[in-house]
Amino acid sequence: MLSNTGITLVILTTLLSALIIYKSFTELHIENNFINKKIFNLVTFQTTFSILSFFVLIAGFVISDFSLINVYENSHTKKPFFYKVSGAWGSHEGSLLLWINILVIFSFLFLVFTKHNNKSYLLYTLIFQNFLILGFLIFLLINSNPFSKIYPIPIEGLGLNPILQDPALAIHPPLLYIGFVGSSIYFSAGIASLISNCRDKFFAKSIKPWVLISWSFQTLGITAGSIWAYYELGWGGFWFWDPVENASLMPWFVITALMHSVIVLEKRNSIYSWVIILCLLTFTISVTGTFLVRSGILNSVHTFANDPSRGLYILIFLSLMIFLALAAFFRYSKKEEYNFLLKSKETLILANNWFMFFFLTSVMIGTLYPIILEVLNDTKISVGPPFYSAVIFPFVIPFLIFMAIGPKINWIKNKYSRILSNFYILIASIFLNLLVYFIFGKYSIISNLIIISSIFLIIHSIKDFFIFFKKKNESDISRIVSHLGFGMLILFIGISHNFTVENDFNLKVGEEKKFSGYQINFNSVRMENEKNYKKIIGEFKLVNLKSNLEEILYPEIRIYDQPETLTYEASIKTKLSADTYLTMSNISRSDYYNIKFQNKPFMIWIWISAILIASGGFIRLIKIKMQ
Amino acid sequence: MKKIIFIIIFSLNFFNLNSDEKTKLHFEIYKNIRCLVCQGQSIADSNSEFAQTVKLVVKDKINEGKSEKEIYEFLISKYGEWIVYKPQFNKNNFLLWFFPYLALIFGAIIIYALIKKKENNKVN
Repeated sequence: MLSNTGITLVILTTLLSALIIYKSFTELHIENNFINKKIFNLVTFQTTFSILSFFVLIAGFVISDFSLINVYENSHTKKPFFYKVSGAWGSHEGSLLLWINILVIFSFLFLVFTKHNNKSYLLYTLIFQNFLILGFLIFLLINSNPFSKIYPIPIEGLGLNPILQDPALAIHPPLLYIGFVGSSIYFSAGIASLISNCRDKFFAKSIKPWVLISWSFQTLGITAGSIWAYYELGWGGFWFWDPVENASLMPWFVITALMHSVIVLEKRNSIYSWVIILCLLTFTISVTGTFLVRSGILNSVHTFANDPSRGLYILIFLSLMIFLALAAFFRYSKKEEYNFLLKSKETLILANNWFMFFFLTSVMIGTLYPIILEVLNDTKISVGPPFYSAVIFPFVIPFLIFMAIGPKINWIKNKYSRILSNFYILIASIFLNLLVYFIFGKYSIISNLIIISSIFLIIHSIKDFFIFFKKKNESDISRIVSHLGFGMLILFIGISHNFTVENDFNLKVGEEKKFSGYQINFNSVRMENEKNYKKIIGEFKLVNLKSNLEEILYPEIRIYDQPETLTYEASIKTKLSADTYLTMSNISRSDYYNIKFQNKPFMIWIWISAILIASGGFIRLIKIKMQ
Repeated sequence: MKKIIFIIIFSLNFFNLNSDEKTKLHFEIYKNIRCLVCQGQSIADSNSEFAQTVKLVVKDKINEGKSEKEIYEFLISKYGEWIVYKPQFNKNNFLLWFFPYLALIFGAIIIYALIKKKENNKVN
C-alpha cells in the first residue's frame, strides 16, 4: 500500500516538474510583467506531493512496513522511534529522496520570496531548477527507488548500522543537504541570470539570502558530522581529512568564497563573471562530492553508503550539468571592466577568495591524487592528516591576519593610528601566546605562529565588537561573530592538537596504571541489557595526580543483534577546561582490555566556535529579513 | 595468536618506564601509519591485531635508536607506500606536493593583473 502511494506521489512530482518546465517556456513568450498564477499553483502542488512522498517513506519506517526493501534493509521493529524516523534518510535511496525534497522546497521558496520584477530571470531559474529536479527524480525511479517492494514480506528487518544510531548523525545529513543541495538554487539562478541578462546588483541581492542559508547550514552540518565522529568512532579525533569529510569541505570553501564575493557584486557592481563561476562551481562540486562518496571510489569510514552502479548515472548527470554551465557561461558572459585599488575592500575580499581556492586545491588534489595515481601507475598511496598539516597550516597564518585587518580597510582613514593599533594588538597576541607556552609547555614554531595570529584575529574581533556597541551603523555584527568564531576555532584546535595527553595500554579488572600525572584504576565490569543491544560497562577511576581530582568513567562495549556488530562507546567527561576521553575494547581470548585515554584541553570550545561561525550567517539573514 | 597477545601485554608493562615525551613521539608516529586491515583509520585509532603489532614494531625501532624517517622507510619497504599517511616526496608524488603552490601562484598572478589594470586605466 505505502509502496504504491509513494511511487504515485513521486511520479506525480516528476510529471509536474516536466509540466512546470513546459509552462515556464510558454510563459516566457508572453509579454507582461507578472508570472501566471498557474505556475505558482503547479509549483505548490509539486512541493506538496514531494513532501508527502517523503512522509510516506517516514511512515513506512515508523510502522516498520517490511514490504519495502528499503525499510527491510535499514530498519528493525526494536529500533528506538527516533532512529526509525532518521532511518528514512540513513540509506542511499532515502537520502536521495531527501535531496530531491530540498531541491523542490528551495525552488518553491525562491519563487515565493524573490521580490523581483524581472520575469524571465525568475522563469529561467525555475526551468533550470526543474531540470535538476527531473534529473534526480529519474535517477531515483530507475536506479534507487526507496519504495521498491519485496516479496515474500519479511517478518523482521535487518536493522540500521549501530554506529549510525546517534543523535548528531541523525541530524547531520539534513543539515548538510540543506547546504549542499541549497546551492542548486544559485546554480540555476546563475545560468538564468546569464541568459535573461539580469545581472549585477539585482542578481547579487536575489541570491544573497540563499547563499547565506546554505552556507550556515553546511557549517552546522560539518560540525554535527565532526561531533558524531568524536563521540561515536572512539578515537578521540573529530577530523581525519578522510576523503568523505573532504567532499563536504570542498563545497564549503567555494560557498565561503561566494559569500564574500557577492558583497563586492552588491556594493560595487564588479566581478560579476567571477560570482557566476562560483555559483556554478558550488553545486557542481557538491554533486561531484556525492558522486565520489556514492560510487565507492573512495576508501573511507563512510563506505556503508556506496555501490559502483550508481556512480555511472551521477557521472553522466554531472557531465551534462558541467556542459550546460560552461555552454551558458561562454555563450552569454561579457567582458568586464575592473576598478580595483590595491588597498581596497574588494582586493582584500579577492584575497579571501585566493586563500579559499588554495585550500580547495590542496584538499582536492589530496583527495583525488591517490585515485588518479592508482589508475595511471598502479601505485597505492595514502594522503592523510600529515599532508594537509604540511601544506595548509602555514597559510592559515597570513589568512587569519587578513581576516583581522581586511574588513576595516575602508573605514579607518588614519593610516598611522591603524598601524600603531595593529602593532599593539600583535604585542598582546605574542604575550598571550607566551602565556599558553608557560601553562602547557613547548610546541613547534608553526603552532606558535598559528596561535599568535588566531589571538590577533580574536582581539581584533573583540575590539570591533565594542565599536559596534558604540556606533551601530559602522560595523557589521554578523561578520564580527563569524570571524571571532573562526579565530577561536583555530586557537582551540591549535591548543587541543598540541597539548592532548594520550596513552594506550592494556589492563585487567583490579589493576591500576600511572602515567603523565594521571592514575587509572580499573574497578569493575558488568553486563546490562538494553532494548536492542547488550552492553559491557567498565568502571574506571581516574585520578589527576597534580590536582587530586577524581572522576569515575564508564566506557561501554555494545553488542547489537540486528545486524550483529560490536561498537565501542567512549566515556567522555566534558568540562569547560578539558574533556577526558576513555574507551575500552576487549582483547580476544584474554582477561585484558585495551584502554585508550585522552585528556583534550578546550574540546567543547571547538564546537562552540564552529556554532558561532554559523550563527554569523543566521544573524545576517535575520538582518536582511528585517530591512 | 596467543603469543602475540602475550608479547603485547608483556611489552606494554615493560615499557611503563617510558617518559611522557616518548609516549608523545610514539603517538605522533602511530597517527601517521595506516591500519591496513581497517577502514580509513590510523594504527593509533584502531584496536585490531595488525595495529597492535605495528605499534610494537615502532616501539622496538625507537628503542633501537632509529629515527622517525627510518621507521617509515622500513614500513614502506615491508608494506608499500600505502601504509604512510604522509606521501613520500618522489617522482610519482611531486605533483601532489607542488600543485597547491602552483594554484597559489596562479591566483596571485590573476589578482596582480586585476589591480595592475586599474593603474593603467588611471594613466589613461
